[in-house]
Amino acid sequence: MNTVPKPPSGHFNVLYFASASSLTSKQHEALPAPLPLGQLFGALEERYPGMKSKILDSCLVTVNLEYVDVPPPGDDSGAVIKEGDEVAIIPPVSSG
Amino acid sequence: MATTQDEPETQTPPTQTEIESRSDVEGGEGPWTLTAPQTTILLTHAPLSSTWALDAVRSPEAGALVLFAGTTRAHFAGRRVRSLRYESYVPLALRTMLSVAERARDAHDLLGVAVAHRLGDVPVGEESVLIAVAAAHRGPAWRAGEEVLEDVKANVEVWKFEEFEDGGGVWRANRDGAVGVRVDDGEGKDGGVEGA
Repeated sequence: MNTVPKPPSGHFNVLYFASASSLTSKQHEALPAPLPLGQLFGALEERYPGMKSKILDSCLVTVNLEYVDVPPPGDDSGAVIKEGDEVAIIPPVSSG
Repeated sequence: MATTQDEPETQTPPTQTEIESRSDVEGGEGPWTLTAPQTTILLTHAPLSSTWALDAVRSPEAGALVLFAGTTRAHFAGRRVRSLRYESYVPLALRTMLSVAERARDAHDLLGVAVAHRLGDVPVGEESVLIAVAAAHRGPAWRAGEEVLEDVKANVEVWKFEEFEDGGGVWRANRDGAVGVRVDDGEGKDGGVEGA
């Protein structure tokens, strides 16, 4: 595993695992903050066309190690990802 | 899917290792451990030791120790697996493993529970997961052992990549009905249901 650097000022880190990492060819990257949680999947789909249906629709999301509910697109009433946050895309797990 | 968000902070027991973010555990190969009363959690790139797991739960009050060892299989859906690799969101996986173990400890009055998962490349036929429990009697020990394993497989943030001898590979998914994502062509999908 590579060390995840602190995100630059005005950014948050998003971590990719398993299929999300394969699709993005990255383990992590910094995105501009703040970002309403409801816009996260849209922002990722814009960067990686097809990611939503292939990956994100079956994933959970954590912010700072806590699972969060991702509001539907266009609903900005939910939580907002802040500068310095650690967001992770969690594909269906396969331990064992 | 049960998640750690269901656990109120006030119920979080004191642990030897407090892990706040991925950067706390990056840059090393581990091993990483978390402990709570009668509970031991381990993530490691090294081979797993069944003796370690049994010793972690051993108690003079126990009448039964149950050990489950999950090993890496050489076949999936008729295709021969050349190699297996596990990756993890280590700080979150440790937390989830701890909450799984504590749930079983409290539900079955366990005298000890240990959960260990191996990461990185695991040769075919070697242990990838160990579950050990200690209880006063065998009934609760058997039941708790199975419960912990199923809970681990459903929830712990560890992912398995199987590379096939005939090319390509797949990120597996344990969840019923979930698909494994192929990375060779992006089109094919393998069912992801599997046993340990």
